[in-house]
Amino acid sequence: MSNPQKKRNFQIEAFKHKVVVDPKYADKTWKILEHAIHEIYNHNASGLSFEELYRNAYNMVLHKFGEKLYSGLVTTMTAHLKEISKSIEDAQGGLFLEELNRKWNDHNKALQMIRDILMYMDRTFIQSTRKTPVHELGLILWRDNVIYSSKIRGRLLDTLLELVLRERTGEVINRGLMRNIIKMLMDLGSSVYQEEFEQPFLEVSAEFYKGESQKFIECCDCGEYLKKAERRLNEEMERVTQYLDAKSEAKITNVVEKEMIANHMLALVHMENSGLVNMLLDDKYEDLGRMYNLFRRVTNGLSTVRDVMTSHIRDIGKQLVTDPERLKDPVEFVQRLLDEKDKYDKIISSAFNNDKTFQNALNSSFEYFINLNARSPEFISLFVDDKLRKGLKGVSEEDVEVILDKVMMLFRYLQEKDVFEKYYKQHLAKRLLSGKTVSDDAERSLIVKLKTECGYQFTSKLEGMFTDMKTSQDTMQGFYTSHPELGEGPTLTVQVLTTGSWPTQPSVTCNLPAEMSALCEKFRSYYLGTHTGRRLSWQTNMGTADIKATFGKGQKHELNVSTYQMCVLMLFNNSDRLSYKEIEQATEIPTSDLKRCLQSLACVKGKNVLRKEPMSKDIGEDDAFFVNDKFASKFYKVKIGTVVAQKESEPEKQETRQRVEEDRKPQIEAAIVRIMKSRRVLDHNNIITEVTKQLQSRFLANPTEIKKRIESLIERDFLERDNVDRKLYRYLA
Amino acid sequence: MKKEGIVKLISAEGFEFVIDKKAAMVSQTIRNMLTSPGSFAETELGEVTFPEISTTILEKICQYFYWSMQYASGKETEFHIEPELTLELMMAANYLHT
Repeated sequence: MSNPQKKRNFQIEAFKHKVVVDPKYADKTWKILEHAIHEIYNHNASGLSFEELYRNAYNMVLHKFGEKLYSGLVTTMTAHLKEISKSIEDAQGGLFLEELNRKWNDHNKALQMIRDILMYMDRTFIQSTRKTPVHELGLILWRDNVIYSSKIRGRLLDTLLELVLRERTGEVINRGLMRNIIKMLMDLGSSVYQEEFEQPFLEVSAEFYKGESQKFIECCDCGEYLKKAERRLNEEMERVTQYLDAKSEAKITNVVEKEMIANHMLALVHMENSGLVNMLLDDKYEDLGRMYNLFRRVTNGLSTVRDVMTSHIRDIGKQLVTDPERLKDPVEFVQRLLDEKDKYDKIISSAFNNDKTFQNALNSSFEYFINLNARSPEFISLFVDDKLRKGLKGVSEEDVEVILDKVMMLFRYLQEKDVFEKYYKQHLAKRLLSGKTVSDDAERSLIVKLKTECGYQFTSKLEGMFTDMKTSQDTMQGFYTSHPELGEGPTLTVQVLTTGSWPTQPSVTCNLPAEMSALCEKFRSYYLGTHTGRRLSWQTNMGTADIKATFGKGQKHELNVSTYQMCVLMLFNNSDRLSYKEIEQATEIPTSDLKRCLQSLACVKGKNVLRKEPMSKDIGEDDAFFVNDKFASKFYKVKIGTVVAQKESEPEKQETRQRVEEDRKPQIEAAIVRIMKSRRVLDHNNIITEVTKQLQSRFLANPTEIKKRIESLIERDFLERDNVDRKLYRYLA
Repeated sequence: MKKEGIVKLISAEGFEFVIDKKAAMVSQTIRNMLTSPGSFAETELGEVTFPEISTTILEKICQYFYWSMQYASGKETEFHIEPELTLELMMAANYLHT
C-alpha cells in the first residue's frame, strides 16, 4: 500500500501469482468484456458488475494480454460506430441533427463507462506502450467513422450553415441543438471545429454580408444603414455567445466589420443628404455615436470620420469669418464662433466619447480659421468689451466665469496674441476711464486668466492700469481735503495715468473752459507739490463730463458728454449762434474729433441738444450751430453718445496694425539675441525656426521681418556673417 | 438495501464491511465503480464484492481509508502495517488504485 505523503512508494515487479493454466483464458476473458461493451452500447449495463469487468481487464493486462484487449476494444467500438453512423445517415431531413446529437450523447456515456472499466489499462498498459488513451481513442474513432463519413460530413456542414442563414433571416432555430453539435465539434479538437465549421462559416458569412451591405447601401440613408450594421454586429456576437466557440467572436465580427463598414466607409461618410456632414449639421448625436462606435472597429475608420469633420468645420468656419455680413457686428461674430465651438464640443462629448484626437482636430480647425481673419483679435476684444460693459449685468458669478473661460479658449487659438493685447488695452482703457465696467471682479478675473495663459509680462501693463485707477481715487480725495473751498462750482475728477501703461495718443490739448482750466491748474500744482519730478499732460480726448443744462421751456436735463463735447457746449453759455470756424478756434479740438463730436451733438435724433444750419447728416466747415430750444427727452439724464469702442475704421485699423508691427521689432530682436547668445553660431533657417517658436505664444513672426531684424543687428554689430559660409551667423559679445 | 452515504465492501470470505462512501472513495477504483454514469450493479446496490481480497486485507484497507482521510486533513500519524501483510496489501493497493 502506498502512502502518498511519505513517498513510501515501493516499486512492485509484475506479480506472477497465478500461472495461467487455461490457454483459452485470454479469449474467454475478452468475450466477457466484449459482451459487456455490447451491453453498454445497448443500454443494458444495469446487470453488469463493475468489479468483475474491472478485475477481468486488470487480469488481462497483468497477464500480458494488454495488446489483445486494446485491439479488441478498437475493433468492437469501430463496429458499433459504423452501425451508429448508418442510423444517422438514415435520419430524415430535420431529424438528422437530432439523431446525431442523441447518438453522440450515447457514445459519450458509453465511452466513459468503458474507460472506467478499462481504467487499469489506461493507467499501465497504455502509458508504457504510448498508445492513445481510451477516451481520446473513442473521440478519434467517432470522428473518423461518423463525422468523416462521406454521407455525413457534407450534410452536417450544409445543415449547420443553413440553420445559421435561417436565423439570420429571422427564423427561430433550435439553438440548444446547435450548441450541442458545435460543442461536439470542439470536443473532437479545435482543428475539427475550424475545418468542419468555422472556416466555411466565415466564408459564407462574408458572402452574405457583402450582398446585404450592397443592398442596404443602395436603399438606406446613412443613419439607417449604420443602425442595421450595428444590429447585425450585435446579432453575430450574440450568436457566438449562444452556440459558437468564444474564439470565433473576433473572426466573425471582423467579417461583418470588413463587409459592412470598411468596404463602404467612404460611401457612408459622404452619403448625400444623410452622411457625416448632415449628421453634424443636424446634431444627430445618436447616429454620430453609432458611427463612431462602428468605425472605431476598423482601421482608418476614425481617421476618416475625423478628416471629414475637420474639413467640414474648416469650411463652416471659413465662411463664418470671411462673410462680410458677419463682420458688421463683432459681438455677434464672436458669439457665432462660440456657438459653433459649443456645438462641436457637445458632439464630441456626447457622440465621440470625448475622443482626444477629435478634440485636437476641433482645436486645430478653430485655430486655422480664426486666424484667417486678421480682425479676429480685435473682435474678440470687442466681445469682451461688450460683455463687461453691459452683457454681464444680472448674470451670476459662475456664468461670468463660464463666458470668460470661453473667451480665453478663443484667445488661445489666436496666433497674434499681441494684437489682441493692443486692442484689449484700448478697450479696457475706455471702460475704466468712462467708468463703464460692470464688474471689477470680472475684469480682474480675466486679467488673471490672461496672466496664467501668457505670463506676467503680458498683463503687467493691464494691471498697471488698475493700479492707476486706484491711486487716482486717493489722489482726488487728498486734493479735495487740501482744498476745502472747492465745494462749490464744478467738480474735477482726474485720473493720473502712467505713461506706457495706457494706450495714450499724442493728443493736442484743447482749450478748456475758463472755469475748468483754473481747476486743472490747482490740481496740477497740488499734484506736482506732492510728487516731485513728474510731468502732467492732459489727455482731454479721453475724458467725460456731466453738465446741467436748461433748455428753452425751462426743462432741465443732465447731460453726460465727452470732454470735447463739454467744451463745445460751454461755449453756448455766452452766445446763441456759433459757426464751425468759431468753435474750432475757441476750442482747438483736432478737426476729425471736432466733427465727430459736433455730429453726435447735432445730428443724432433724440439727442440733438444743438441745432445746425443747414440741416444735413454731415458737418461742413461753413455750418452754424444753435442751442436746440425744442430739445426734449423723457429722461432727466441724457447720455450723448460718443463713438466709443466700436469697430475700428479702416485707417485706424492700419494705424493699429502699424503700431503692432512696430512693437514686434524689439521683441524679435530680443529673441534673436537671446538665441544667439546661447548658441553663438547658428545658420539662417534655424534662427527663423527658433525665433518663431519662442514668439509663438504672442504672435506668428514673419520670416522676412526676422530677416530684416537680423540684418539690422548685423549693422549694429551684434552679429556677423561667417566669412566662409554666408548662411551662418556669429554672435559678437 | 441501499443507503445514501455508506457503502458495503464484501471480502472473498463473505465478510461485510460497512463504511462511509467518502472513505471508500479514497480508492480511485471504488470511486469509479460508484460514480460511473452507467448503472452498474455496484452503483445500484451500494455494495462491492472483492472475490480476490481476503478479510484481513480488506479490514486493513478500510482502516487505511480512514487513516488516509485524517492524514489528508492534516493529522500526521504513522500507519502501522504488519510485515506479513505487506505483500498482499501491495497487490490490493495496485488493484484498488489507492
